[in-house]
Amino acid sequence: MNEMTTSNVRSVTPEQLKHELDRGGKPFVLDVRNEDEFQQWRIEGKETVETLHIPYFDFIEDPEANISKVPKDREITVVCAKGGASEYVAQLLSERGYRARNLAGGMIAWGNAHQFIEVSMAREEQPDIVFYQINRFGKGCLSYLIGSAGEAIVVDPSRHIDEYIKLANEKGLKIKYVFDTHLHADHISGGPALAERVGATYYIRMADAEGAQFSYESLRDGQQFEVGNVTVRVIALETPGHTPGSTTFLVNDKFLLTGDTIFVKGAGRPDLGGQAEPWARDLYRTLFEKLAPLPDDVWVLPAHFSSTDEQREDGLVAAQLGEIRRNNAVMQIRNEEEFVRSVLASLSEQPAIYGKIRKANLGWIHVDEDEMIEMELGKNQCAASAIPTRR
Amino acid sequence: MTTINFDKVLDARGLSCPLPIVKARQEIASLQPGQVLKVLATDRGSVKDFQGWAKTAKNILLVGQTTEMIDGKEVYVHYVQKVG
Repeated sequence: MNEMTTSNVRSVTPEQLKHELDRGGKPFVLDVRNEDEFQQWRIEGKETVETLHIPYFDFIEDPEANISKVPKDREITVVCAKGGASEYVAQLLSERGYRARNLAGGMIAWGNAHQFIEVSMAREEQPDIVFYQINRFGKGCLSYLIGSAGEAIVVDPSRHIDEYIKLANEKGLKIKYVFDTHLHADHISGGPALAERVGATYYIRMADAEGAQFSYESLRDGQQFEVGNVTVRVIALETPGHTPGSTTFLVNDKFLLTGDTIFVKGAGRPDLGGQAEPWARDLYRTLFEKLAPLPDDVWVLPAHFSSTDEQREDGLVAAQLGEIRRNNAVMQIRNEEEFVRSVLASLSEQPAIYGKIRKANLGWIHVDEDEMIEMELGKNQCAASAIPTRR
Repeated sequence: MTTINFDKVLDARGLSCPLPIVKARQEIASLQPGQVLKVLATDRGSVKDFQGWAKTAKNILLVGQTTEMIDGKEVYVHYVQKVG
């Protein structure tokens, strides 16, 4: 049961709401946060989510006038930052005969929820493989668990490491390796903590992790990893551009975990380290030289999505290289100078908090749970496109 | 920092949203026009919320916001004046 009753207002969990959205549901969202928070990020679905924004204090100040703005013929999903104010408003609505429910835990819970989606096409070739894309949908962060015959690799885990431990336990897998494709700037990595907890080895490329205050093994180009007795063969490919140490993993020659190098739409922004132009050139070489030998039928499994139309019918965020080569706007610009110009012109300002997140991910600063929640608020802004968005 | 005079204190420490504003509104009702309510809150979100509420509500004015360290914990302090 995903619906439960607290006070006498019904509530819905983020996972349940996401499930409804994925199945084409058209919820009516009443967002009662303050203006800034509402502008920063909101509930998104495959299709535009009908959303009415009225801050909760307006309901406190003048309940009747504001309630009358809410449609009575729809089921109303009330959303706030932590789930308290929305419960209050949902209660007001319910008392007046509206069908209202509360998003339990609010946008913080939305940003922390994880959805497990099987990379089902992997099983066609290797029936005993366990391959999941873990979608932290509120932030647009994707991570992976790949296992076979008792052992597993986790790639780009969020800081909610229990999610991965739970999944591995359910599948009877022991996590042997934990990889980060690069030093993340948009979220706190769970990599070092997960590796330590389960006794796995943590890998990241030294170019990104130099000076880190935790132990790691540096990834080398062409390095191979195997898990399980049927073997899941993982090859690390040096793919700089988003960061100098960006690494892509090729699984069983068919699945490319690209981190923030290439997404279904767009590519990783090259400016987060303050060296936008040289990194944009690295990105160009990665996309058009390093990845060029890979065939069109390789599946790209990125570390992020920006919009839900990057999701397939089954919920998986993935596309084959051929499709990306044809449709991803970044891949259309074959001239290096033009590519660099376009990518640089597309960059929005990076969120100010990203510098602090990078420091936290290197273990240079320690932040408590409340601070981490605040640092991670909002959707990732890791993508560059070929479409200018600079204002 | 200029000191703000106040007539009543609402201790909303430990209360989570929406209670600091619900209670502040109740307290304001008992004040005379011109009087100021000082609200102590530990919910960081209260900073933006009091600003928003003050814009909405016609009979109050947010005359100051600051932080104080009380018992080793950062407390968000809001001064709300009843007008009209």
